[in-house]
Amino acid sequence: MNQWEVFVTDVAELAEGTDLELTIRTLNPGVQKYTYKRVRAQVSATPDKFGDQLQVRLGRGQLSQARFSIKVIEEVQRCPAKYL
Amino acid sequence: MSKISAPRSNREFVEACVKSGDAVRIKQEVDWDNEAGAIVRRVCELGQAAPFMEKIKDYPGFSYFGAPLSTYRRMAIALGMPPESTLPEIGKEYLKRTNSEPIAPVVIDRKDAPCKENILLGKDVDLCKLPVPLVHDGDGGRYVGTWHAVVTKHPVRGDVNWGMYRQMMWDGRTMSGAVFPFSDLGKALTEYYLPRGEGCPFATAIGLSPLAAMAACAPSPIPEPELTGMLAGEPVRLVKCETNDLEVPADAEIILEGVILPDYKVEEGPFGEYTGYRTSPRDFRVTFRVNAITYRNNATMTISNMGTPQDEGQMLRSFSLGLELEKLLRSQGIPITGVYMHPRSTHHMMIVGVKPTYAGVASQIAHLAFGSKLGPWFHMVMVVDDKTDIYNWDEVYHAFCTRCHPANGIHIYKNTVGTPLYPFATPHERKYSIGSKVLFDCLWPVDWDPVNDVPTPVSFKNVYPKEVQDRVTSNWTAYGFPPVK
Repeated sequence: MNQWEVFVTDVAELAEGTDLELTIRTLNPGVQKYTYKRVRAQVSATPDKFGDQLQVRLGRGQLSQARFSIKVIEEVQRCPAKYL
Repeated sequence: MSKISAPRSNREFVEACVKSGDAVRIKQEVDWDNEAGAIVRRVCELGQAAPFMEKIKDYPGFSYFGAPLSTYRRMAIALGMPPESTLPEIGKEYLKRTNSEPIAPVVIDRKDAPCKENILLGKDVDLCKLPVPLVHDGDGGRYVGTWHAVVTKHPVRGDVNWGMYRQMMWDGRTMSGAVFPFSDLGKALTEYYLPRGEGCPFATAIGLSPLAAMAACAPSPIPEPELTGMLAGEPVRLVKCETNDLEVPADAEIILEGVILPDYKVEEGPFGEYTGYRTSPRDFRVTFRVNAITYRNNATMTISNMGTPQDEGQMLRSFSLGLELEKLLRSQGIPITGVYMHPRSTHHMMIVGVKPTYAGVASQIAHLAFGSKLGPWFHMVMVVDDKTDIYNWDEVYHAFCTRCHPANGIHIYKNTVGTPLYPFATPHERKYSIGSKVLFDCLWPVDWDPVNDVPTPVSFKNVYPKEVQDRVTSNWTAYGFPPVK
């Protein structure tokens, strides 16, 4: 199980039942911790619906009490290929 | 100029601070994830010795040096002065050195450059190999650059800029940073690189000598390599980058090289800022792609932890911003006695002492200061007379509360240049860097009769005859009072 974190302005941005494009960062222990990925994913307010956990922070870094689960469908590469 | 004996590298600076008791060596392992940041923050809030953390979790061989210039003592050590030097003495020395002839840097061979002891290129480039700290819990990311210099060169004029633009690690090859449009780099990007769709070469130097960091932080018109030389009294040593034509301080601990991308942005922030808050919104900001990492053996990463006063963000910036404003006003012939920014104002208030010989001098000062290149970084100007000690907040506050006319002495300027960092700014103002300013004119009006209209200060030194003052002073302990220091 992976642990992820997302920054949102409003928890309502995390709509259920639809694919979302999100910038999430890993909270897994190790030197990669806090690095980001852009992903297409589904989220749920039911903590055990999907395999990975998602923690939420608000606009100024405040930790939300809301807990979600997340299924990462695929990584979205926005960076132009010429830079990769 | 007499020989200056200032630390020439971060390593020499750490040693000098340890020797004077202004740094402590922490031998036990420290976690890069919040713990190191928390240590630095507490040091800043307690005004204690700078922490040199010798053992970092997950990163054997690396170390941290935190809060490098968050006290005037360490600023004095950085300048090669006695640690107990007073602020006016440090300021006088800064002005003397920075008014001298520029000292050009020297470029050395790469084999002699300590920052080339380890070189990572191509697929080996990974910022996760560096002990990038999570400085504050809740920050948008691990911040690579909190006490550093982002080196760029203007594509047309060729002038070199070292700026302290914060940089967040987004992934192993990508950083994002706050580069405001009115800054030197911001102007180069918006005027040249972005319209042409060209990448801007950059290098980030971390673990600089304290004077190079001071130069990178100073809002001086003098190019930072020359300014560093003037502060040090000798040329700064530079070395050419591996992947671009920029030159970087050869004695820096870590160098990142790469390109600022014109057509790709990632999110940055939030981050604990010098104002003592997280204010600027998380946003898509200037994005840096890293193509090379070079570093010294046993490299030290420097950490500034900005937050509530006082840290480098307030101490050094208040110091250098105030002195550069003093230079500006003197260059215009304004009869000032000095300029001071109290660190606790988070360099938002410029206090100016002036001999009020003509009407409107306070407004003239405010217009010059707010209209200058330095203007976006502060929003209050308080002008007091030449009898008020600008370094003594008690005196300044008294002048403000008694001489500033509520209707005539407070002047408000709207729609000025601002920054997203102002905590009082509306969300709209933060998004578009819109500012507003205020002048507090604490001078007696020159059209008041100095004898019949201007109030007389009532103080021990002002209302008693000299002979009475002397008698009372000399008999003070005889009256039964403890001696006055």
